[in-house]
Amino acid sequence: MSDAPYLSLEKLTLAYGDTVAVADLDLGIRKGELIALLGPSGCGKTTTMRAIAGLLPVKSGHVRLDGADITRVPANKRAVGLVFQSYALFPHLSVYENVAFGLKLKGMRGTELDAKVQAGIKSVGLSSFANRKPAELSGGQQQRVALARSMVMEPKVLLLDEPLSNLDARLRLEMRTELQRVQKETGVTMIFVTHDQAEALALADRIVVMKGGAIEQIGSPEDIYSRPVSSFVADFVGFENIFPLEQGRLKTSGGLIELPGQAPSAAGLAWRPRMVTLGSGPFRGTVRGTSFAGDSREYLLDTPFGPIKAEVEASQPAHALGADLSFDLPAEKAAPLARFA
Amino acid sequence: MFQNRAEALALALPAALFAAAVFLVPVVILLSDGFRGSDGGWTISAYTDFFSNSLNRTVFLRTLKLGALVTVASAVIGYAAAFAIVSLEPGMKGRMTGLVVLPLMISPVARTYAWIVILGRTGIVNEAFQFLGLTEAPLRVLFSETAIFIGLLQLFLPLMIISLISALENMPKDAIPAARVLGANWFQVFWKVVLPLTKEGLVIGGTLVFTGSLTAYITPAILGGSKVLMLETLLYQQVSVSNNFVSASVIAFILIVMSFAANILLKRVATARNKQRAAQ
Amino acid sequence: MTARSLFIPLTLLLVLAFLIGPFLIIVAASFSAGETLNFPPQGFSLRWILKVFTVESFRASFGMSLFLAIGGTAAALVLGIPASYALSRYKLPGAEIVRTVVSAPIIVPGIIVGLALLRYIVVPFQVGITAALFLAHTALVLPYAVRVVSASLDNLRSDIEEAAVLLGSSRLGAFFRVVMPNIRGGILSAFILGFVTSFNQVPVSLFLSGPGVRTLPIDMIAYMEIVFDPSVAALSSLLAFLSIGIVFAAERFLGFSRYV
Repeated sequence: MSDAPYLSLEKLTLAYGDTVAVADLDLGIRKGELIALLGPSGCGKTTTMRAIAGLLPVKSGHVRLDGADITRVPANKRAVGLVFQSYALFPHLSVYENVAFGLKLKGMRGTELDAKVQAGIKSVGLSSFANRKPAELSGGQQQRVALARSMVMEPKVLLLDEPLSNLDARLRLEMRTELQRVQKETGVTMIFVTHDQAEALALADRIVVMKGGAIEQIGSPEDIYSRPVSSFVADFVGFENIFPLEQGRLKTSGGLIELPGQAPSAAGLAWRPRMVTLGSGPFRGTVRGTSFAGDSREYLLDTPFGPIKAEVEASQPAHALGADLSFDLPAEKAAPLARFA
Repeated sequence: MFQNRAEALALALPAALFAAAVFLVPVVILLSDGFRGSDGGWTISAYTDFFSNSLNRTVFLRTLKLGALVTVASAVIGYAAAFAIVSLEPGMKGRMTGLVVLPLMISPVARTYAWIVILGRTGIVNEAFQFLGLTEAPLRVLFSETAIFIGLLQLFLPLMIISLISALENMPKDAIPAARVLGANWFQVFWKVVLPLTKEGLVIGGTLVFTGSLTAYITPAILGGSKVLMLETLLYQQVSVSNNFVSASVIAFILIVMSFAANILLKRVATARNKQRAAQ
Repeated sequence: MTARSLFIPLTLLLVLAFLIGPFLIIVAASFSAGETLNFPPQGFSLRWILKVFTVESFRASFGMSLFLAIGGTAAALVLGIPASYALSRYKLPGAEIVRTVVSAPIIVPGIIVGLALLRYIVVPFQVGITAALFLAHTALVLPYAVRVVSASLDNLRSDIEEAAVLLGSSRLGAFFRVVMPNIRGGILSAFILGFVTSFNQVPVSLFLSGPGVRTLPIDMIAYMEIVFDPSVAALSSLLAFLSIGIVFAAERFLGFSRYV
């Protein structure tokens, strides 16, 4: 893995008609990396992916891959693979013919073609399904065909659109393992788009969080999970108690509140429900809602801060609805947010 | 959605230009002829002339009347037939639908021609009536409004039945049992539940039948003869007998306006019922 | 309950008798041995069925109708398939206008289309009657072609074309490799629907007839105004069975009704 980016997006601006979807995006991706583009719908992640594939013309800026500027290279000459969310298998062709499709267009014929197609189908464990039509396969099998169809082309970059979203929980784990295996064996650079933070955290080497057509944060899964830079990212990865800071004090619906201890210098602070201390601390709140989640218990408190979500281990004694509790938002545990918006 | 506009236009323009050149432009010129005075200026005198002629008024009203009657009759029969077909088991339902569609594949000339055999002076109806002693002299059914009505109804009823079948099938399955459980009688079930839920099908079917009846040529030509004219046969006469192109243009415009008006009116009726129900 | 169980078969019987009965009478009358059109037929013979094939004008007008139905529908598809593709896959500026223009011939009464064509295309541009009929029938079938082909395109996910392009195919290649094979049924259905529509069409062709140039239905009307023998019945029966046969085969092999 060299440090020079293998795929780079430079000042990339993308638009549908006059509606700008992505503005001035800069992103460098190293060879062999597994990158997640994470964000809610409309954040520009799919648009960015389509531009890398060449399916969407670039309004301005550049896309460079393996040292060459491919901004104006048509999609069919880019050596970029894409596994569609719907898989986009050709319904009239068998599994074998689907996988052979691109190789035949390359002019490959005869035993070379056959060997390559067979190997591709075998690598995703579908050898006994080679003659089936896509409609005769399950969703998980269809996705593996789509993966094999892209991978036999030996793409420089493999793009995946919401690769796990159409699968049930069991298949999701299977596919996750499969993708990691393919990536490890072939060393292909992979970029996948997802709106599911758990998926991104579990799979990616690096996560690119996007919002409103721009990058909000780039970092390792640990960075994103523990050190969100903004209220948006914090909210997206499961921080439920998020407040802006004003002159070292929390700005809440109940006015400015000073936290005990050192006043952090940040635009805001965020706590996961787990980080809230219940049963001791300088503040008081009333239990408004409670729910049991197996190994933990969640509480919704009415407090001077407004509603606060807390989570404690189920082994702790339960608090009844209406109970008046003391609690703390410990400043040292909080994630400091550089930006609040 | 692909974004390339030039490609999209290159694909779509040949068809659009063809339809515009062969169809739209000539038709628009034809229609504008009816609004041209002898001095070349714009006028509606052709229309006042047309309606000042009592024969023309008769034909206009007859066309409107027959169109409305055929539409109403096909709606009544259509609901009964569609109900009956929808309540059949799947295999039988498919076969029956097929039999209803079948006439649409047969040339309207052949379908209309059959009525000559049935309604003619020596046709089945007259033979039977005379045999039973119901009439002495043969009835004159052919070349009458009744004959045209029967012919049009037979021609367009399948369109209504098919529209209503799909409307009834798209109705929530439990709507009728639910209304029954709530104490509605069959008339109330139809009026308060089935009709509002299938009105879109009725509007589609009604528009097809009404405009079809207005603009049918073969049926009035064969079953109405040269005496009982409808607008379409009148138009043909004006051109082929009198060479009166201005009058033909007027009739053409009236036919088009009536077709569009029927469509809009039926949609109105459907939504008005909707609002009325919402207000209650 | 008994009233209801009687209602269904009785309604169906009456409606089908009304819709199909006249056609059966025509079929029966065409096997008559008598000189005039009558029902019940006088005796049984094939003379009228056989006579149809010997009437010179029928043969000529049948050829004309066949040519218009096949050629006009083919031309409508050549124009209609790309237009449908543009409407279904592209962000087309003025898509609604294009859609309205290509489907307009279905809304305007055929007799007006024929008359307009005669007055403003045939006469001023000295277009031959055959060519005019061809243009008219193409325009007439175009709305059906666009409607049926669009429906089958809309049922096909558009990302398969993108997938084909990413696997190295050109845009045009993707259309022929992955779109065409999957809308073949729709195109054939459009062809059959267009064929039947064109073949049975009367009003458009009404004003577009010249010496020796006539479509079959027009010829039949002209014939029945002069001669009252069962040959038109025989011809009608033959044509009806031909149409029914084609549609039946299409339904059998294509699932025609899915597309129409």
